[in-house]
Formats: sequence, structure tokens, C-alpha cells
Amino acid sequence: MRALILAATAVLTAPGLALAADAAPAGAINWVGPYSVLVAGFAMAFAAGLCALGQGRAVASAVDAMARQPGAAARIQTAMIIGLALIESLAIYVLVVAMILLFVQPIK
Amino acid sequence: MEVIEHPPIFRLPGIPDHVTYTWIVMIVLAGLAFVASRNVQLVPRGLQNFFEVVLEQFQQLIDDVIGPEGRPFLPFIATLGLFILLTNLMSLVPGMNGPTTSLNTTAACAVIVFFAYHWIGARKQGALTYLAHFAGPVPLALKPLMFVIEIISHLARPLSLTLRLFGNMFGGHVLIAIIFFLMGFDGLLGWALSGSPIGIVGGGLGTTVMIAFTVGFLYPLKILVSFLQAFIFVMLTMLYISGAIEEAEHHGSEHHGGEHQPAHH
Repeated sequence: MRALILAATAVLTAPGLALAADAAPAGAINWVGPYSVLVAGFAMAFAAGLCALGQGRAVASAVDAMARQPGAAARIQTAMIIGLALIESLAIYVLVVAMILLFVQPIK
Repeated sequence: MEVIEHPPIFRLPGIPDHVTYTWIVMIVLAGLAFVASRNVQLVPRGLQNFFEVVLEQFQQLIDDVIGPEGRPFLPFIATLGLFILLTNLMSLVPGMNGPTTSLNTTAACAVIVFFAYHWIGARKQGALTYLAHFAGPVPLALKPLMFVIEIISHLARPLSLTLRLFGNMFGGHVLIAIIFFLMGFDGLLGWALSGSPIGIVGGGLGTTVMIAFTVGFLYPLKILVSFLQAFIFVMLTMLYISGAIEEAEHHGSEHHGGEHQPAHH
């Protein structure tokens, strides 16, 4: 299993390493560039998954509360929407960092 | 970002895009307000009626979150809300470059909110009392630590407002750009228009699927996100203002971030 993961990583990053070797400025370490793309992808996937778990819990509690007290459904729904947007904003921060890694490329 | 840059319908020379389109939104909003308030009648009709409904909704929100002492802030909050809503929706229109897809506009709105709620709190309670409330209901030994933590969390608020609005709007932009430019929409369209029978079938099918997916699913999602993000921005502004002007005995509930329920109703 570990060998499989190592082989997959090597296969996926080998073209990036070849590309980076072509564009090497004199004396600079440029093997960080391809790995930043990899990290951006994994970070976004991780953040999206955890955000989904958090939002699932929030919606589940909100729906339970609405079933228990249908009269308060409007206020519970407002609080649920605010809670969902706040949880989602954490994944959006990771998206911003991923976009910085992909497009602004601070380390080439 | 060169791969997803596409110039909007018109740009003024020497002025950045987000400034130009902010001016357009300002002209639109000011023009609508002027037209709606020209012959103010007791029984509203037409545009005045529509705007009275909109402002009534904002008034309802303010009453729910801040309470009746929040009414003087209705112009500020309604302007912020309508501006962000219109600029978000403008980024959906194909020929235009929405201002909120740039970090400058969202940071400007967040900085305005930051200074506004501190000024409102300091004006209501007096500057020194307001600052003393930062220390919280903790024993005297812990007050300096609490003060520092509170300062950091207050500084995190405009940052989170900025990044939330920017990330949602720009993320939608990047998504559309990826669907169209990087998934080969132009290639499929060229294949369909090349005239070969396989090209027409395959390219036409691919093009139709992409257009149906974008117009049928992504655009309604982006419209929802525009409304939701404007609503969240305005709601958080109101929560910060209500946190700044509340009295000392409810101070303990101020640390719970955005899930604040004011106790005076």
C-alpha cells in the first residue's frame, strides 16, 4: 500500500519535475513549483470534505429543531443559513490559498 | 491568471476595471433612487412600491438583529447590501467585469464596516468604556490577555469578510472560466463547426451539454451565491454593530462570533 502511494506520487510529479528542469534559472531551487500544485489540490479536497461534514451536522441539527418546534422554523432557518455560510467561508479561505499557489505562484 | 482574463465590454483608459464598474453600479443605484423618490405618494405605486418593499425587508432584519435602536443605521446597511448585491449580480453578466471579483472592492467594504462598527460603539458608550469592554468579564489578572485576544479577533473580522465575499465571487468566475476555456469548449465548438459528420454529432453534443450545464445549473447557483453572500455580509455587519452597542451585562455572549442572539427580545 505504501509502495503504491509512493509510486503514484512519483508518477504524478515526474512531468512537473521535467518541466521545471527546463525553466531553471541559475542557482534557484525550483522543485517546489510542481509540489505546490499538488498541495493546492489536496488542500482544497481536504477542506471541502471537512466543510461538508460540518455543514451536514449544522443542517441536521437545524432540521431536528424545526421538526421539534415548527413555529420557530423561520428563525431556525435564518440561523442555519448564517451558520452554513460561516462554515463555508473556511473552505473559501483554503480556496483563496490554493488559487494563490496555482495562479500567483509565489515560488516557481 | 492570464488564461482566464477576458476583457469586459468597455474599459476607460487608465482606470482599473473594478473602479469603472463600481461607478456604473453607483450611477444605476443613484438613478433608480432618484426616479423612485421623485413624486413620493402616500399610496406607493411602481418603482417606489418596489423600493419600499426592499427597504421594509432591511428594516425588518435590523429590528430582528439589532433592535429598535438600530434604525438610524438603515441607510448604511441598506446601501451596503444593495451595492454588494448589484455588484455580485453584475459579475454574472457576460460582458461585464464585476467589482466584487477583485479583492479591492471587497476589502473596501470590509474596512468601511470595521471602522463603522467601532465608531458606532465608541460613540454610543464613550471611547474608554467601549475599549474597557474588550477586556471581558474575567478576573483582573486575565484582563490583559483577554484584551489581546479580543483585539486579534476584531482584526480577523474584516479579513474574513473580505475573503469570504472575494472567494465566493472569484471562485464562481474561475469555475465558469474552467468550464469554458480549460475543458475545451472552444475545441468542441470548432469541431462542431468544422462540418464533418462526426464533428457535428460529437462536437454538437458536447457543446450542448456544456451550455445546458452552465446555464441550467451553474448560473442559478451563482445567482444564489450572490444573494446569499450579500445577505451574509449585511447580517454580519448588523451582528457586529449590535455587539458594539450592547450593554455591559450582556457582554459575556459577545465572544461567540457570529451566532449572537441579543437577549433583549
